[in-house]
Amino acid sequence: MNVESLVFYVFAALMIFAGLRVITARNPVHSAMFLVLAFCSASGIWMLLEAEFLSITLVLVYVGAVMVLFLFVVMMLDINLDQLREGFWRWFPFGAALALVMVGEMVYVLGNRKTAATEGLVRHAADYSNIKELGRLIYTDYVYPFEIAAVVLLVAMVAAIALTLRRRIGVKSQNPGKQVLVKKADRLRIVPVAAEKSGSDRAA
Amino acid sequence: MLENYFPVLLFICVGLAVGVVPMVLGKLAAPNRPDDAKLSPYECGFEAFEDARMKFDVRYYLVAILFILFDLEIAFLFPWAVVLKEIGMFGFVSMMIFLAILVVGFVYEWMKGALEWE
Repeated sequence: MNVESLVFYVFAALMIFAGLRVITARNPVHSAMFLVLAFCSASGIWMLLEAEFLSITLVLVYVGAVMVLFLFVVMMLDINLDQLREGFWRWFPFGAALALVMVGEMVYVLGNRKTAATEGLVRHAADYSNIKELGRLIYTDYVYPFEIAAVVLLVAMVAAIALTLRRRIGVKSQNPGKQVLVKKADRLRIVPVAAEKSGSDRAA
Repeated sequence: MLENYFPVLLFICVGLAVGVVPMVLGKLAAPNRPDDAKLSPYECGFEAFEDARMKFDVRYYLVAILFILFDLEIAFLFPWAVVLKEIGMFGFVSMMIFLAILVVGFVYEWMKGALEWE
């Protein structure tokens, strides 16, 4: 067994272990952390497939950003675990059916000669750049899906704002821009007051 | 190509060792005499006041999701920047359209005040 297959088996075993812990861990925060581990191992496997850009993006975007969101959601939902576990047996048949469909799909893809990559990977030289290969394709041949991706991002942005943006009423806050721009005339009013006679004033 | 990433693998191994070895050493070498008082959870010397999990303001979520979206946008810029000379004007224009669509979203969130914290 060469080093590459050893590394692959280590990452694959780590990923299966992490995946199992994601669904078995009692604490949802631990589940999220094991999901991070699963992402990291998946990134290692992608690197073994020479998909370097995707591998690093997986760490950057999923581990760096998406998991932060997952943790926020776990925190925000204020999950009560006992309540969560209540419906387990009621939903079990549904979940099992879904799992069976997934396994069937995997068997179909991996077992089929047409869809499975049977010829093996071609190893590239040290100066091979996967990111260049990707760049040549995304922005020319796949320009239409690329622009669709932009629209999907736009929809996500608008939806997130529409769902979560709440204007609070009665919040007192400073606006530094307005504070700097203020003029003397806005704040200070000189009232012309008629001068009184000094003599009578003092006498009284 | 993979040989370029051998240092990264080495780094992962060393990082794991740095994390795991002190824990194992502590387990093996340190005296361990727990009792009820030592193992009880406490917070600044007191009994824990409440559950550690609490509701966050939903605005943190909004900031996080907007961050992810722009993070993805940046991820698309990297391969483009590397091959810009090869893909020429067509590639340049396709990226400009991509950016223009996202700028619409950016303007929307700016005008909506989603970037303001209040």
